[in-house]
Amino acid sequence: MIDAVTIEVLRNKVAGLTDEMHYHFYRSGYSTIIRESRDFSCVILDRDGRLITAPPMFFHGTVYRHFCARVLELYGDTMRPGDVFVSNHPYEAGLPHVSDMGFVAPIFAGERLIGFSGSIAHKADIGGTMPGSTSATATEIFHEGLLLPPVRIRAGGAPCLDIDRLILANSRQPELVAGDIGAQVAATCMGVARMEQLAERFGADIVCEAFAAILTGATDELAAAIAALPEGAARAEGFMDSDGVEIDRMIRMAVNVTVKGGRVLFDFSDSDEQARGPINLRPSMVEACCFYSLIGCLGPDIHFNDGCRDVVDFRYAPGTITNATAPAPVSSYQMANLKLVDVILQALSHFRPERAVANAGSSGALGINWGKGARPGQSSLQYEILGSAYGGGHGHDGASCTATHLSNLHVTPIEILESEFPVRVSAFELIPDSGGAGEFRGGLSFRRAYEMLSDGMVIRRYDRAKCPPQGIKGGKPGRASRFVIKAGTVEERETPASGRFDLRAGDRFFLESAGGGGYGDPVGRDRKRVERDIAEGYVTPETAKRDYGAA
Amino acid sequence: MSQDGRGARYRLGVDVGGTHTDLVLLDPASGETQVEKVASTPANPSLGVLNGLRRFLDKGIAPADIAFFAHGTTITTNALLEMRGARVGLLITGGFNAVQETQNQARDGNPFDYFYDRPAAIAPQSRTFQIPERTDYLGNVLTPLDEGAVRDAARALEAAGVDAVAVAYLFSYMNPAHEIRTREIINEMAPRLHVSLSSDVLPRIREWPRLSTTLVNAYLAPVLTRYVGDLSRGLDALGVRTAQRFLMQSNGGVMPFAAAETGEKTVHTLLSGPAAGAQAAAWVARANARAGLVTLDMGGTSADIAFIEAGVPLEVTEGTVARRQVDVPALDMTTISAGGGSIARVAPGGFLTVGPESAGAVPGPACYGRSGDQPTVTDADIVCGFLNPDYFLGGSQRLDVAAAEAALNTHIAGPLGLSVREAATGIRRIVDERMADEVRVFAAKRGLEPRAFTLLPFGGAGAVHAAAVADELGIARILVPPRPGAFSALGLLCSDVVHDYIRSELTPLARLVPDHAEALFTELESRARAELAAEGLGDAEARLEREMDLRYAGQGYELRVSLDGIGRIDAAGLKAARERFDARHAQIHGHAAREKPVEVVSYRLRARVAVPKVQPRELPAPATGVDAAAVLKGRRTVWFDGREGIDVPVFERDGLTRGAHLAGPALVEQMDATTVIPAGWTAEVDAFGNLLLTRDEAKR
Repeated sequence: MIDAVTIEVLRNKVAGLTDEMHYHFYRSGYSTIIRESRDFSCVILDRDGRLITAPPMFFHGTVYRHFCARVLELYGDTMRPGDVFVSNHPYEAGLPHVSDMGFVAPIFAGERLIGFSGSIAHKADIGGTMPGSTSATATEIFHEGLLLPPVRIRAGGAPCLDIDRLILANSRQPELVAGDIGAQVAATCMGVARMEQLAERFGADIVCEAFAAILTGATDELAAAIAALPEGAARAEGFMDSDGVEIDRMIRMAVNVTVKGGRVLFDFSDSDEQARGPINLRPSMVEACCFYSLIGCLGPDIHFNDGCRDVVDFRYAPGTITNATAPAPVSSYQMANLKLVDVILQALSHFRPERAVANAGSSGALGINWGKGARPGQSSLQYEILGSAYGGGHGHDGASCTATHLSNLHVTPIEILESEFPVRVSAFELIPDSGGAGEFRGGLSFRRAYEMLSDGMVIRRYDRAKCPPQGIKGGKPGRASRFVIKAGTVEERETPASGRFDLRAGDRFFLESAGGGGYGDPVGRDRKRVERDIAEGYVTPETAKRDYGAA
Repeated sequence: MSQDGRGARYRLGVDVGGTHTDLVLLDPASGETQVEKVASTPANPSLGVLNGLRRFLDKGIAPADIAFFAHGTTITTNALLEMRGARVGLLITGGFNAVQETQNQARDGNPFDYFYDRPAAIAPQSRTFQIPERTDYLGNVLTPLDEGAVRDAARALEAAGVDAVAVAYLFSYMNPAHEIRTREIINEMAPRLHVSLSSDVLPRIREWPRLSTTLVNAYLAPVLTRYVGDLSRGLDALGVRTAQRFLMQSNGGVMPFAAAETGEKTVHTLLSGPAAGAQAAAWVARANARAGLVTLDMGGTSADIAFIEAGVPLEVTEGTVARRQVDVPALDMTTISAGGGSIARVAPGGFLTVGPESAGAVPGPACYGRSGDQPTVTDADIVCGFLNPDYFLGGSQRLDVAAAEAALNTHIAGPLGLSVREAATGIRRIVDERMADEVRVFAAKRGLEPRAFTLLPFGGAGAVHAAAVADELGIARILVPPRPGAFSALGLLCSDVVHDYIRSELTPLARLVPDHAEALFTELESRARAELAAEGLGDAEARLEREMDLRYAGQGYELRVSLDGIGRIDAAGLKAARERFDARHAQIHGHAAREKPVEVVSYRLRARVAVPKVQPRELPAPATGVDAAAVLKGRRTVWFDGREGIDVPVFERDGLTRGAHLAGPALVEQMDATTVIPAGWTAEVDAFGNLLLTRDEAKR
C-alpha cells in the first residue's frame, strides 16, 4: 500500500520531469521561430492514457486521452518497448488541428505497460492549400494538410522511415519539420526513459499506485468543489461574427449546464450545426474549454488531470459546431475556444455567482507579408498575436490590455517590429470607454495603428466586430473590435474582423481589440471608482454621466 | 585602494536579512574573522547595522581602524514588495499610453484565474504625460521634442506632489537627445525631483522592459538615496572614517555609496540579497568552484539555489522582482518555497504538501513556542533529532520539542494515520526531493550536469538537508563553510566593484560595420571611466570587458557573448563572435544553426575594479594526531527513516581541527548551523576549516 509521502514525491517528480521534457524539446532542435509561441506540450499518462499532470499549454491536456485511446484500440496487442506513435488527426485522435502533431510512446516495466509519454507540437507546414497549413477560408479538412491517423513512427526503438518520408513529402518546409519530428521523438522518449528509471527505483506497482492516487486525488478535489454547488440547470449562448467563409452568418454556441448528484453535465446539443469555415471544434477542445472554465469558476488552484473526468459528463449532437463531423475544417479552433469559454462561464455563473464574469475580448492575429519589400537580410513575415481585455466580474473590474483565458502570448515590442520590418507603429493607445460599463467595469482594449513603409499583404484574423463581448447582470457590452484600412484617406473603410488586404507603401491602418463586458448595473458602481476611472482617463466624463449617472 | 587611514586595517561586511543582521570583520593581516549576529530592525535597517558595529567597537576595535565597509541590504527589495517607494510621475511618447497597460500582454500568476490584476501601476495614467516627440529605429528624429509640453508636465508633476520622474521615450536607446533635454527642463523647473531616464537606466531595445525598469528605478531611487545617506551619517557618527563604503548589487559586484546616492543605479541592488552568498562561494571555494558548485542557501522561508560554473556564477539579464520586470544583470538563481519555516499540510485531494506558505520568523515554527501551531520543516527536523533544542543559535533560543510533536500530530500524523516521526520524516523527504528536483531541472535548462558538482550549503538549515539532497542528485561532495550562517556577509568581502553598461542597436551581423561597433564600445567605455572618476575610482585600474547580445534572426531572445581577447573590432573579430555565439547556443539550447543569419541586438560593457578580498586562511596543521573523539560533545538519538532511532555522536564544530575525520552517522553542531552526516558519508576538516563531506561510493 502506497503512503502519502511517496505519492507526493512522485507527483513532484512527474511535474519536474514534464518541465524537463519541455526544455529538452527546446534543446533538441525545434525550429527557432515556432518554439517562441510555446505552442507545444509534453506529458506523462497512465497505462490507460490518462493525463497525470496538466501541461502549461492547458488545452492540449484533454487531447491525449482521445489520442491514446485510439492508439490502444489499434495497437494495444502489438505494442512493445521502443514504439512511438504519431498522429495529427482531429477526428480520429482528437488533435486540435492538423498542424499540431502528437506523439505517444508506451512505458514498460519489463513486460508490463505502466504508462505513456506524450507530446504535441505545432509544425511549420504539413501541406494543404495555404503555406503554413492553417487557412482561414478552408471548407474541408483536406484543405488543411496531410492527415495522419495514429501510426507507428518508431518500432522497438528503430525508425520507420517510410512514415517520415511520407510526412516530409507533404510539407513545404521538410527540413524544419524533419528537425521538429526528431526533437519531439527525443523529448517523448526521454519521458519514457525517466519513467522507466522511476519504476526501477520505486517499483512498477508503486508508480502505478501513485498514478492512481494522483488521479483519484484530482477527482476528489473537483468533486468536493462540485458538492458545494447548488443543484440545478443553467443555459447560455453566444455568437461569433462568422466562420470566415460565410461572412454574413453569425455562429451560435450554446451550452446547458446541469449540476446533479455531485456531477456536472455540459450539454452542447443546442449549438449551431457545423460551419463551412474552419472554426469547428472537436470534443477534445470543448472539454478543454469546460475544464478551464470549471476550474476557473470553482477554484483556480484545483489541479487538473484526467481524474477530473470522473465527475464531469459531456453531451453533443453530431454535426454541430462543438462536435463537427469529418470533413469539416477546424484550423481556427482557438478563436472558437475563446468564444466557447465565454459562454460556458456565463452558464456556470448561475451556480457560483461570486465567480461570475462577463465576456472577454478574445485574441487576434495580425500578419504582414512584405514579400520583396522586406529589409535586406531580415524576415519578410511579420506576425503578431494581440490580446484584448477581460470582462468585469463579481467584485472585480476586468483587466485591461491583456491576453485572456486560454491564450497567454507576449505582445511583440514596437521597437523590435520597426527594427525588423518596413513598418511604423504610429499609435498604441488605450481606448477610453472601451470597457463595458458596469458596477464592475470591463477591461479596456487598445488601438494599434500602423503605417506601411513598403507594399505588403496584411492578414487579419479576429472576431467580436459584429458580436461584441456581452455584459452580465445588467452590465453593458464591451466596445466591439474594429479593423480600418486606408485610414485618413477617402478610401478609408471598416472591414470585417477577418480578412486579407493588399496595401501600398504610405497606407495606414489600425486595429482596435474588443473591450471586456461589464458586470452589474453601472449606476451601482462605487462613486470612488467612477471618479478614479475619470481621473485615469479610462472613462470619459460624458460616458460617466450617461452610463454611470455621475454628476 | 588604501589611500585613507594609514593604520586602518579591518574590512567589515554586513548583510541584513529578514530576521538577523550578520557582520563579518576581517583582519587581512592575520586572515582572522570575527562574526556578530544581531536582530534586524526592519523599520530602519541601518539601526541594526550600527548596533552590530557597536558590538565590535565594544570589544575594542577602533572605528578608525575600519578601512573598508561593504553592505548587502534588501531595503529596495522590501520597499518594492511593500510598495513603499516614491510618488512617481512618467513622461512617455505621445500616443503610446497602452504600453504601460499592456506590459508584456501575457499574464503572470495562475492561468485559470480570470479575476486577474496587474500589479498596481507605479505611475498611473493620471500621473503620466504624453509628450509629442518621436525618434525612429535608426535614431533619426521624426517629430521634434515639444518642450512646451515638457514644461507643462513638469509644472503638473510638481503640483501633484511627485518625488521622482521616469522618462521613457520610444527608441531613446538609439538617440537619447529628447530624454536628456527633458531632464534639463525638469531640473530647471523642479530641481527637487529625481529624474530617471530610460536611456541611462537601461538603453536596451524593447519598450516595456525598459519602461518598467526605469519606473522601478525612479520609484526606489529616493528610498536608497535616503538610506545610504542615513547609514553614512551613522557610520560617521560612530567614528568610522573610511571613504571605502560599498553596496552589494544583483550582479555579484559592489558599487560605491557615491554611485548609490546618485540614484541612477538603484535597480541594480534589487536582487543583491542572494547574490552575496553565491559570490562568497565562487571566491572562497574557488578551488572547488572551477569544477562546478551548486549553492543551497536554506533559510526560514525559502531555499535559494545558484550554480557556479568554471569558477563564475551564472548570470541572467532579465528578471522579475515583486512581479515587476527589471532587466539588469543578476546572478542566475532559483528560489523554491523550502525553508525551515515552510508549512506542511494535508491539501485537498489528500496530498501531503510542504510550502509555499511559511511561518516565517513570526510566529515561526511550532517549536519556537510563539503561537505558531502549524508544523514546519524545522519542526520535522527537531522531532527527528537533527536539531538540538538547547543549542539553537548557540543556545540563545530554546526549542519546544513537545510543541513540534503536537503540531505534527494534529495536522499531519493524525489525518494520515502515521506516527509523528513517520510524518516528520515524510516532510523532510518531500522537501529534500523537491530541492533536488529543482536543482536537476535548473541544471538541465542550462545544459549542466550537477553530478560532477560540489554542493555548498549555507544558511541556517542548508547543512541539515544537504546530504539528502546530494544523495538524490548523485552528488558525491559537500562543502560546508566554516560559518554557514554568516556566509552572505562574508560574500561582501569577496566582491569587486562592477558596473554594467548596455546599448542596443539591432543590426544583421553581416551588415555591421566593424568601426561602428568599435565606436559604440568606445562610447560605453568613456561613460564607464567618467562614472568611475566621479565615484573616486578614477585612478584605480579598471578592467573593461566587452560583450555582445546576439541572436539568430527573428528569435525573441538573445545570448551574451564575451568578446574577451578580440580587441579592436574588425571583420575577423565579428566572425569569432559569431562562432562563439553558435557554440554558446549549442551549449545552452543543444543545437546551433550555423547557416542562419545572426543579428546583434545590444552591446555590453562591464567595468570591473578589483577590491582586495578575503583570503581563505590556511589553518595550522595540529602538532599531534587529530582526535575527533576529543571534541565529542555527546550522543543523540536520530531518526533517519522515521521508524528506527539510531544513536549518533555529536561534535562541536569549533573544536574540530584541520584534518579531523568523522564517519557518518554523526552530527556537527555550531552556533549558527548543524551539519548532518548520514551513514555512508565521511567528513573531513580541510586546510581552510571547511567541512568536506564525501560519499563512500563503495556503499552505493
